Amino acid sequence: MSALIIFGLLLALMLTGMPISIALGLTVLTFLFAMTQEPVATVALKLFTGIEKFEIMAIPFFILAGHFLTHGGVARRMIRFATSMVGHWHGGLGLAAVVACALFAAVSGSSPATVVAIGSILLPAMVKQGFPPRFGAGVITTSGALGILIPPSIVMLMYAISTNTSVGALFMAGVVPGVVLASLLGFTTWYRARKFGYPRLPRASWGERWQALRQSAWGLALIVVVIGGIYAGIFTATEAAAMSAVYAFFVSVYVYKDLSLKQVPRILLESANLSAMLLYIITNAVLFSYLMTSENIPQAMAQWMLDQGLGQVAFLLVVNVLLLLAGNVMEPSSIVLIMAPILFPVATQLGIDPIHFGILITVNMEIGMCHPPVGLNLYVASGIAKMGITELTIAVWPWLLTMLLFLMLVTYWPPLSLWLPRVLGMIP
Amino acid sequence: MFNIVKVFDRLEEALIASLMGLATVIIFLAVVHRYALGVDWLYHFADRFSTSWAQELCIYLFVWMAKFGAAYGVRTGIHVGVDVLVNRLRPRWRNGLILFGLLAGALFTAVIGTLGAMLVWQMTQTGQVSADLEVPIWFVYLAIPLGSYLMCFRFLQVAWRFSRTGHLPKHDPAHVEGLDDVQGAKA
Repeated sequence: MSALIIFGLLLALMLTGMPISIALGLTVLTFLFAMTQEPVATVALKLFTGIEKFEIMAIPFFILAGHFLTHGGVARRMIRFATSMVGHWHGGLGLAAVVACALFAAVSGSSPATVVAIGSILLPAMVKQGFPPRFGAGVITTSGALGILIPPSIVMLMYAISTNTSVGALFMAGVVPGVVLASLLGFTTWYRARKFGYPRLPRASWGERWQALRQSAWGLALIVVVIGGIYAGIFTATEAAAMSAVYAFFVSVYVYKDLSLKQVPRILLESANLSAMLLYIITNAVLFSYLMTSENIPQAMAQWMLDQGLGQVAFLLVVNVLLLLAGNVMEPSSIVLIMAPILFPVATQLGIDPIHFGILITVNMEIGMCHPPVGLNLYVASGIAKMGITELTIAVWPWLLTMLLFLMLVTYWPPLSLWLPRVLGMIP
Repeated sequence: MFNIVKVFDRLEEALIASLMGLATVIIFLAVVHRYALGVDWLYHFADRFSTSWAQELCIYLFVWMAKFGAAYGVRTGIHVGVDVLVNRLRPRWRNGLILFGLLAGALFTAVIGTLGAMLVWQMTQTGQVSADLEVPIWFVYLAIPLGSYLMCFRFLQVAWRFSRTGHLPKHDPAHVEGLDDVQGAKA
């Protein structure tokens, strides 16, 4: 009963268009005031203790690092490297866009940032070379989504926080699926480019490739800092994030010199703005899941689902549909923070691996970012490509279909995500 | 009057940007310090101070950054909601709902601010200090009432402006500072 009231209230408040964080908080306050004897004063304390965890602090650090890299010409050098490697195949710059997105995703934890960084440079270049704008926009919108699957990833961090899963293991589990998805998107690009005869670039010589690699080496080294650092136990995820922020600052300002010191305060402010918003959602989501737990809702729902005789296969299907639907109206961080604590207990009871479940949720979020009405990638790409959402929606479908197939693969073939962390001994 | 608000705005921005930068530098130094302890010739130098407080300080800096940044976010319109339905409504209904949302935000933050103030008051009575830094806990928790009241003020400010001019701040995720000069550069 209380579950119905809580969800009804939350849904009603959210539909008025108020910020999700406020809707979550007001739901909790109203429920505590009206329905329980629980001391409301604990709410304020929870608002503080909710984010008083060192793991959560990786989020602002990764956002800061991402902002430095987006501004600092790292993306441009990665694009040059990707172009020199794959530009001569069918799809040319389109294929290079997929590779560049995958590379940039490995230093940035966010999808929209990847779309901006790669798209704002490559899209105009592709149109100039004679690609139809739709093709370019479609490639960038969907490949940009790799940003949250290839570590580091803000969405994975959110999942790790709300379910107490190991961040390191999750990051590692994202590597193989990330590479596979990049290859699949690349294949789709290649296939369509070959079919329609889109321009290719002249083959770059090995000398040029070496040159491009050397220039982008500073950016690429960040991948080693983050993934290598966490895996080798040199630092925790949060420390790795802080190191990459400092490193990104150093590279952008002193090595590539694309960023002047004068711009730094502006970047700090923008990163703080975005991080504060995410942290505010986290605090309110923590409040919300505290209410849920104190009302025993996740357990009750888990029991109910088990009583329905839902097996693993059916449950995962339900989860996918649910998350894809949620992806229609909400942005990923909120979805993960609200849904993960509810779905997680059921998943563990059904014997689904927590890491595998996290990757599955992340892939769902990726797809949610690429289709309307609320696909953040779509909006960002439409801004860059100067193309309406409706037209862009048509433009992304070949790649979106590829992603849906990939989702099936990830959902029903756990070794794809679990193999690497298992080999590395991070999970049993 | 207008200028005071402007100065206040700049101060707010400077505060959250510096908190962000400071936290980054501190964690960086703490990690470097930890590794310096493992190197022989650096050990004598590094051993003179300890950085065990770094983690706690970083958390507190970020909590303060989050509370004040959330208020700044109201001003920049970064707190997004589900606006799919609202945007399809007739303007009169839409405006009414937007105003309702803003006022609900003001109400929530006002309640939290007050609860937070009560909490801080209780803390001053206990004289409790934090684990590593040994600063009074009430001072650390001051971020809740201050941040929340500021956020409440921002919600009211935005609501007032919206009701007068129909202008709503909107954050544009596609806009990247300083990227314009790179745009269209040869790949």
